[in-house]
Amino acid sequence: MKLLTHNLLSSHVRGVGPRGFPLRLQATEVRINPVEFNPDFVARMIPKVEWAALLEAADTLHLVEVPKGPIEGYEHDEKFLRQMHHVLLEVRTGPSLASLAGHSRRLPVLSSIPSPFPAGGCAGGHLAVPRVWTSVPHQSRDPQHVAE
Amino acid sequence: MAALRTDSGWRPAAGARFFCTAGRGLEPFLMREVRARLAATQVEYISGKVFFTTCSDLNMLKKLKSAERLFLLIKKQFPLNVSSVSKGKIFNEMQRLVNDDPESWLSAISIWKNLLELDAKEDKLSQRDANPLKRKVEENDIINPKKLKTKQMQELQESRECQLEKQTDEATVEQGDFLTNREKSQEAFQNDAVKAVAAPNQKDLTFRVSCRCSGFVAKTFTAQEVGRVIGIALMKQFGWKADLRNPNLEIFIHLNDIYSVVGIPVFRVPLASRAYIKTAGLRSTIAWAMASLAEIKAGAFVLDPMCGLGTILLEAAKEWPDVYYVGADVSDSQLLGACDNLKAAGLQDKIELLKVSVIELPLPSESVDIIISDIPFGKKFKLGKDIKNILQEMERVLCVGGTIVLLLSEDHHRRLQDCERGGIPWNSKGSHTDEPGIEKCLNPGEKTDLSDTVSSSAETSGQGDLDKMPPFGSLVPVDRYRVSLGRTGAFICRYRKSPSSAASRLAAVSRFQSSQGSCTALKAVVSGSR
Repeated sequence: MKLLTHNLLSSHVRGVGPRGFPLRLQATEVRINPVEFNPDFVARMIPKVEWAALLEAADTLHLVEVPKGPIEGYEHDEKFLRQMHHVLLEVRTGPSLASLAGHSRRLPVLSSIPSPFPAGGCAGGHLAVPRVWTSVPHQSRDPQHVAE
Repeated sequence: MAALRTDSGWRPAAGARFFCTAGRGLEPFLMREVRARLAATQVEYISGKVFFTTCSDLNMLKKLKSAERLFLLIKKQFPLNVSSVSKGKIFNEMQRLVNDDPESWLSAISIWKNLLELDAKEDKLSQRDANPLKRKVEENDIINPKKLKTKQMQELQESRECQLEKQTDEATVEQGDFLTNREKSQEAFQNDAVKAVAAPNQKDLTFRVSCRCSGFVAKTFTAQEVGRVIGIALMKQFGWKADLRNPNLEIFIHLNDIYSVVGIPVFRVPLASRAYIKTAGLRSTIAWAMASLAEIKAGAFVLDPMCGLGTILLEAAKEWPDVYYVGADVSDSQLLGACDNLKAAGLQDKIELLKVSVIELPLPSESVDIIISDIPFGKKFKLGKDIKNILQEMERVLCVGGTIVLLLSEDHHRRLQDCERGGIPWNSKGSHTDEPGIEKCLNPGEKTDLSDTVSSSAETSGQGDLDKMPPFGSLVPVDRYRVSLGRTGAFICRYRKSPSSAASRLAAVSRFQSSQGSCTALKAVVSGSR
């Protein structure tokens, strides 16, 4: 899935607050999928990005050249937009996601890009449903819990 | 004939008159679409057809999304008077359809040829030699008047449409290559053009008449009889030859109690059959109509949490590309089918697919701008409780001010109406009746349907109950449209998430929080909302 998708997902746990927990990436497969650059679209996605989760994901995947946050006037900064375009839309992780903090909620996910790897993806093979889940306590993104 | 020759295609300078057939219930969408997409004027909806005038070229006409088929209008006039005793007299009246005003026939045919000729020139450059394929399309496409039974036009068209779609699907599966499907439609378009070009002189035109009769006319005549009479009149008047297998020109006639309409189908393949959809789930016209109701804007996050084969997302992504689309389903087979569809349409970069359940969406609250979904019909899908859970989860992830558009079976809809008792009553006018023409032109039967459901909800929702919370928190019904899915009917329902209940829910949250002893939390929630 695209990193943008990973960024917008979260494990919603009832009673915990509206933001839920971000999903930790347990990426076993990473690939880059070229996508046509559309600056308007990228600019509109920037406000939706959850930066902490994005930077952590980028770190996990050992990505370089990832902006640390939105910069002033980003809508017109082509370099920034191109970097974000690459990170959000071109980096794909395979269909494996770790689920969350204290609640071992499974979250199998089907990637829409056919996997060149032997297992899973849309190439007509069986879906790769991750079997191993980390249940490492993870910082929730809910502001309520920051104080605690 | 005055014409504008542009690079995109020939356009009739003064505008040409067309009509479209549409699935029952989709007419308001079609009327809106022809105005928006084709700058159409003189738009009328009469008994199952939408008539309009436009200067658009073939490429723009091809893009119509809520229509079944498109025809160039030759003639529309008062219905045949079948109260006469003599059949012969009525046949004479039919002949007059041809003989009274041959000019109207010739000018319509001239427009038709112009519309298609330019296309032939463009496509000849990229034409692929695929004769066996071409023949296959045509063989299955024959509308033999002899075989025609007198049915309601809608049913016949739908079954034909389905047949054509099936043919397309089958051919695709056989070829094992999606490109063939798209090329096949192009082939079909080229066929029209090639035939038009191949008849250099109107005298050499070959034609075929396809005829539908309904109402009183159908009681007196069979479609074959009518087709024969008209065919002979055409041969006499214009010297054309009839060709049932492979004609240049198709003539479409519909006679009913309201009008007599004659037209030329502009495309072989119905518009509803999309080149870019490999396997359709929901009917593409309805999928597009739902997407058009959702008011999708660039940069929006659009979710279909029960996407099945992804038809709704495909239609939406084709029309509104600068949008972030996510589809979800619990069924592996459906998701694989959706994946195939995305690839075949070249939209795999635009639409993300997830295997997650609609009642447990892994999304933060209030993060989705638009939700569009076809709630599954059928016995395996439990009514009642499930629907409520689904709506509650959808409501949770939807932004304030966000829109939900759902396709509900009649059962689901009834169940929801029961729930809505005590909630905000439907606005009985509804936004889709702002077309003054519609009120007049709706079939009496259809109008009763709509007012029946409206009045029953007005009865059940008490007048003094406006203070009560609607059952789905902040989801406010905006409007709904009854549509036909062939055998069954369904409702397209639009909801909006209103901010008004957010305040009362924050109050509820604060009560909970204070009972938990963390008052600082409330301030954080209020000020920290995105």
